[in-house]
Amino acid sequence: MLYRVIDAQELPALVRAFMESYEVVAPVKRGSGYVFRAVDDPADIALSYTMTDSSVKKYLLPPDEPLMRFDARTNLVEDFHEEVTPRVLFGLHACDINAINRLDLVFRDGAYPDPYYCARREATLVVGISCMPGDHCFCQLWGSDEVQFGYDLFFQDIGGKYLVSISSVTAANILESACNPREATDEDRIEFRHATRRRQAAFNPDIPRIEDVSMLMDAFHKDPFWDELGGRCLSCTACSAVCPTCYCFDITDELDPDGAHGVRKRVWDSCTNPSFATVAGGHNFRPTGRERVRHRMYHKLNGFMATHDRMLCVGCGRCVDACKANINPIEVLKFFEKKGLEDVE
Amino acid sequence: MNATLIASECEARTQPRVVVAGLASCFGCQLQITNAEAHLLEVLGQIDLRYWQLVSSEPLPDEYDVAVIEGAVTTDEAVRTVRELRAKAKAVIAIGACAVTGGVPGMAAAGFDDRVAGTFAGAVPSACGTMRAPKPVSDYIDVDFTVRCCPIDSYDFIRVLQSALYGSNHIEADRTMCGDCKRRENECFYKQGTLCLGLVTRAACGARCVNLGRPCNGCAGLSPDANLEAARATCTAAGVDPNRFDEALQMFNQAALIAAADAARKEAE
Repeated sequence: MLYRVIDAQELPALVRAFMESYEVVAPVKRGSGYVFRAVDDPADIALSYTMTDSSVKKYLLPPDEPLMRFDARTNLVEDFHEEVTPRVLFGLHACDINAINRLDLVFRDGAYPDPYYCARREATLVVGISCMPGDHCFCQLWGSDEVQFGYDLFFQDIGGKYLVSISSVTAANILESACNPREATDEDRIEFRHATRRRQAAFNPDIPRIEDVSMLMDAFHKDPFWDELGGRCLSCTACSAVCPTCYCFDITDELDPDGAHGVRKRVWDSCTNPSFATVAGGHNFRPTGRERVRHRMYHKLNGFMATHDRMLCVGCGRCVDACKANINPIEVLKFFEKKGLEDVE
Repeated sequence: MNATLIASECEARTQPRVVVAGLASCFGCQLQITNAEAHLLEVLGQIDLRYWQLVSSEPLPDEYDVAVIEGAVTTDEAVRTVRELRAKAKAVIAIGACAVTGGVPGMAAAGFDDRVAGTFAGAVPSACGTMRAPKPVSDYIDVDFTVRCCPIDSYDFIRVLQSALYGSNHIEADRTMCGDCKRRENECFYKQGTLCLGLVTRAACGARCVNLGRPCNGCAGLSPDANLEAARATCTAAGVDPNRFDEALQMFNQAALIAAADAARKEAE
């Protein structure tokens, strides 16, 4: 990995350089929060954001995506080609890049790569930036407060300067042309260590640090806790809509008004959607909030671990804000903490 | 093409025969069908439209395949009409909040008899018919398809009509609406302490009102999985009086809430 240092004032020039060949998507202030939007002025970017309301997954996995067009009379697929926009996802925190790495595992690196996802991923540059945790952040619990790969550039704020990790030639060339990257000094390295320690010390101490979460999920699979947690689910699917790693989808066919042609679409679905587990014949094998919420937490904190050796949750805390019924992994951690204290008594 | 040829071509056609009937409503949903102007002829070309109450005073024909029903059932005459439509049609489509949930007429359901007596003092005009408490069409007959909201979306109607004509793998959403707001990245009204019924309302519209900056007033109807208790707790946590939430639900969901309360009472007995 190549490291260089640039001054903070050089960043707008880099953004403008990206804009010459890419759409630049970055965090911007919106109302009481932040959102990722395509920007056309570097001044609109709010790099000091704590967390955006929703993630960037929509740029790789759109909520509503045409897969093909068809002729309903002949039952034949019509030629379909979607333009992929070359794009820079700019200003992502480590958790969100770790989230993209998990989507890559599912859609790109498996036995059946998804051509729609891969085309977008291929045309996307990822530029990360260091951050300080907010009250709902718990990425450090799963080790996703740092990111080892999956980005083109990563900017570590070292006070008026950035220590830049460079991991792609394309991005390195644009950085070279727009900025004046220089070798890191000992002083830069010292400041990097300080910044890292400041971040590590800033996590909300009220969020329990629990070891062996995946194992505990299995141990307490039948606990009445899940009735209580799932019993207050509003069945709205806000959790999975804002989650950077929820990737479940449904596929529907929609006819054009002429009834002769149509489009097959992939749309976001969610395991907290009541009919998600309804099968042919009408049986729903996760009929209540208890089963649905438990299933979602299991996939995040246990199931993905079994197949991919890492949590599917990256601890970004978006669901903590989005769920109006206060259902989120922190509540699960608090439950395990309470169980642990009961054992001691 | 001469007239004989056109006639023989018409004879050869086996297009599904469709009727559109209106009950207690503002007729706005029937009007919404016409608002798909750009595609209206394409849609009409796929059916044999035998009756459309909005545009003709001809009586209902005797035979048809698909019955589209707008409006709430508010009279004995309307009950007979929906039963006849059900008996003759292969598929029944209820369109609009009035037909699907009781809608705005449904607001009069609670204490209906007293209300009628108070309004007409025993002299109900004959034009009113034999009145009964407003209810959704599905309270009287089986409904195969629904087009929700007040008013309906023109294209939603076309999609559902085509489902009835050709079949479809589309499943009606039973989740509530907040997730759709999150997909659209709308700002949540509860963050500003503003009441919004998306908490318990079916995600049938893609959060249309909220997309336009207005809170949801529940016209798509309660989700079968609506968690009213959790929704009231959400209101309280956001500084919204839960009584206002209950009151707001009356506009489009009174019939459903009365039915749920009746069922709960029966179970308790």
